[in-house]
Amino acid sequence: MSALLRIEKLEVVYARAITAIQGITLEAGKGEIVAVLGTNGAGKSTTLRAVSGFLGLDDARVTEGSILFKGDNLANRPPYLITKLGIVLVPERDKVFPNLSVVENLAASVPARGADRKRLEEMAFTFFPKLSELRGRTAGLLSGGERQMLALASAIVCGPELLLVDELSLGLAPVVVEDLAQRLVEIRGKLGITILLVEQNAAVALSIADRGYVLENGRVVLDGDAARLKNHPDIQEFYLGGAGERRSYRDVKQYRRSRRWYG
Amino acid sequence: MQLAINIAVLAAIYALIACGYVLIYRVSRVLNLAHGELMMLSAYLLLTTASLFSKNPLIALTAAVFLSLCVGVLVYLFLMRRMTGEMVLAAVLTTVALGVLLRGLVVLIWSAQQQNPAQALGWANYSIPVFGAGRISAAGAALIAVTTLIYAGLFLFLRFSRYGIRMRAAGQNPLLAAQRGISLHVIYALAWGLSTFTGAMAGILISLDSGLDSTMVLIGLKAFPAALVGGLDSLVGALLGALIIAAAEVLMIYYVDALLSDVVPFLVLILMLIVRPWGLFGTREELDRV
Repeated sequence: MSALLRIEKLEVVYARAITAIQGITLEAGKGEIVAVLGTNGAGKSTTLRAVSGFLGLDDARVTEGSILFKGDNLANRPPYLITKLGIVLVPERDKVFPNLSVVENLAASVPARGADRKRLEEMAFTFFPKLSELRGRTAGLLSGGERQMLALASAIVCGPELLLVDELSLGLAPVVVEDLAQRLVEIRGKLGITILLVEQNAAVALSIADRGYVLENGRVVLDGDAARLKNHPDIQEFYLGGAGERRSYRDVKQYRRSRRWYG
Repeated sequence: MQLAINIAVLAAIYALIACGYVLIYRVSRVLNLAHGELMMLSAYLLLTTASLFSKNPLIALTAAVFLSLCVGVLVYLFLMRRMTGEMVLAAVLTTVALGVLLRGLVVLIWSAQQQNPAQALGWANYSIPVFGAGRISAAGAALIAVTTLIYAGLFLFLRFSRYGIRMRAAGQNPLLAAQRGISLHVIYALAWGLSTFTGAMAGILISLDSGLDSTMVLIGLKAFPAALVGGLDSLVGALLGALIIAAAEVLMIYYVDALLSDVVPFLVLILMLIVRPWGLFGTREELDRV
């Protein structure tokens, strides 16, 4: 399997002082759904920002390593050109233009080079039929779930080969999240694109992902098949709320680690 | 009747200038305080093209408008582009500096004397009777027509064309716009181009109506309250603001004293800022940016 996206020994430093990511290596093959898990501050969003070209805004930069998309290094390219290459981000918040209608939100998207806009727009409406009922509605008046649909649909119109989804489940009801997750699987199946899903909700992410990575303090601490990760005792305990000593995440981790290291 | 005509012409002038402020503010949150100077520059450019193509007034006009449009895009490319991502205040100060520079340049090149582009084009600004009761100058009538056309065009462009929608999108959330593949530089350059284009139309028509010297900047400055009263990010607001300011000014001149004319727009502005600081059609949350 050839990797569509390959992040190699990536290191990102904020404000020339804080190392947020310390040598992450991560791969996503064509047509794969890859989950990136971790708690707040683990470096998930920073990784996404590095890929989509938005590090500069937060005074952060890549100090080492590389981000290869189809073999090309992405470092230091402006965001809109990265989108045109076929890497599209669905951000965590502020994901739609609130004063534009649903149709106008879709029209604002610029398709990647060589993409067929008309077909993509039709596709977007087939994936999210509800949006075609809401065509003329102002996006600011949509519910959270509908906004997420619109954000995904607008991203699809950009004609992505790699879709980066930041916190699909944030602030949404479990039923809605379940539904959206199934749509992602459908989108992957029909368009054959790769999806990188950054999530705190491990149960949802692992239920649709092929593979997963667990980040902690800017490092990859676990990776492998989704099925294997789901059954991993650490994941069970920290992310899926399985049985175990239920302390705060850090305590448990610390405790387990010291137990592992010192026997 | 004459009063109503005067109000309509003045409102058209203010509205045409104000939409230039609104266009740039709306997409980039920058107040272009050199708008009046850019407008004046266009009128002087007409003076030059008029002497170059004295036989062909239409070519002279088109050339002047085209050159002004180029100036707008160049200002963006070489000056304001570097200001993207910097503080908005820095960008606004840059436009102030640009304004001062242009004012000096215009006097250096074309001298401070009163000029008359209409004469250079060989046009007489005759007046047309309206409904028997009043009269309107040809340039005044053209101003009203052009303003109507430009506003209609802008509404259609922003509402239905893909680039218009992208302009609105970029104004709302530049970050998301970039994520959707919109090149902000193209959008900003477009806004500057459109803004100087409308400003050029205003400057050229005003100079055809009432001659040209460096006090034209003052008209640009007086249109600024019109944009603010309407709420800086709304075209409908700019139109209505222009009407209010023009009405107040003309009535004041007629009933009180002509000397007050330069003060009235700013009086209305202050009143508005006290009562409703975000303007008639502005968005409330824009306030912290002003």
